Amino acid sequence: MRLTAVILSGCLFFCSCTDGKKEEKKEPVTTVSKDSAPANRTERPAVNPYNGVDVSPMDMVYYPADYPKLKMAHTLETPPLARVIYSRPHLQGRHIFHEVLKYDEPWRLGANEATELTLYKDARVLDKKIKAGRYTLYCIPHTDTWTIAINSNIDTWGLEPDTARDVARFVVPVVRTQNSLEYFTMVFEKKEAEALLLMAWDDVEVRLPFRF
Amino acid sequence: MKKTLALLLISQMIFLSLMAQTLPPVDKSPMDMSYYPANYPVLKIQDKPTEPLAARVVYSRPQKAGRTIYGGLVKYGEIWRLGANEATELEFFKPVKIDGKKVAKGRYTLYAIAYESTWTFILNKDTDTWGAFKYDPKKDILRITVPAEKITEPLESLAMSFEKTTTGFKLVVAWDSVKAALPISL
Repeated sequence: MRLTAVILSGCLFFCSCTDGKKEEKKEPVTTVSKDSAPANRTERPAVNPYNGVDVSPMDMVYYPADYPKLKMAHTLETPPLARVIYSRPHLQGRHIFHEVLKYDEPWRLGANEATELTLYKDARVLDKKIKAGRYTLYCIPHTDTWTIAINSNIDTWGLEPDTARDVARFVVPVVRTQNSLEYFTMVFEKKEAEALLLMAWDDVEVRLPFRF
Repeated sequence: MKKTLALLLISQMIFLSLMAQTLPPVDKSPMDMSYYPANYPVLKIQDKPTEPLAARVVYSRPQKAGRTIYGGLVKYGEIWRLGANEATELEFFKPVKIDGKKVAKGRYTLYAIAYESTWTFILNKDTDTWGAFKYDPKKDILRITVPAEKITEPLESLAMSFEKTTTGFKLVVAWDSVKAALPISL
């Protein structure tokens, strides 16, 4: 009974999230002031002496997608396959190119701490085998392709990637979208036997395919 | 012809907006991470870590938003996920001791039970899960009860940070008008 209530309230929570999302589509500016840390910070400056709230909030995505929720709801016993922890910068009226990123210069695929990829088992990324473990991810954006690097220098800050510790580099095509996405977003999409790690921001999308 | 084109454009826009809606929105309770040594990633790129990497916590930060937290949102005597969304993850990069008990390096889930004057921290081995909804006490590694201290300036967002102690370090968890610390020995 209690579990049912929990799941029900969980559903309501997801619904309310979706509503927020719809609002974001219509009035991105309103959502920024309502939802994001900077607005709060202006009203209540530096009240947290332990750990201030980041302007670019951190987030986590699993493959299979929503693994923790699936595990909670369905007693999923198989371990997850992959996880990404990244921070989500937002446009705030800027364009991704060239106001935030520059072509041919490395970008940490996020903000603050380096973006972290955990592979819970060995994977194949395009033509290369990548062993299970923790890695950092960064990219070098070009006009029509992005170079995505998997790097072994972990627990580090996102600036100044140590390119000597690249484990592998991949070149993936850029897809341009009609809509602009306010927050940088990473998510695993399932496509047949592959897990596509989507990296999307503004009107740019790139996908890196994983096989487990 | 024009009409068809307009219709096509509109349907394409609807399709794209539907696509976009499947992407995750920004969480109300943003995630954050803290390391011990504090600010390890920044120290690392500056080439000046004070001591080897020992621990990291990844947690989500609910906001008070005018609510009564203790005895309200966080019920006294009941399991609390000590965060929001994904369960709070505490990782040790080397073996440590908590309350005299050895804890192997690895990832754990951290829960708590709040009482009026104490908190019980619970280290559990069931990782990659959501909240405390499926909390299984059989998977506990240890429990430790510590004093709950009042803080004068209430905190809007739940905060976690590591601080150095004489025997190692502690994880300070603070929200609203209460803080408590999990002591960890090296």
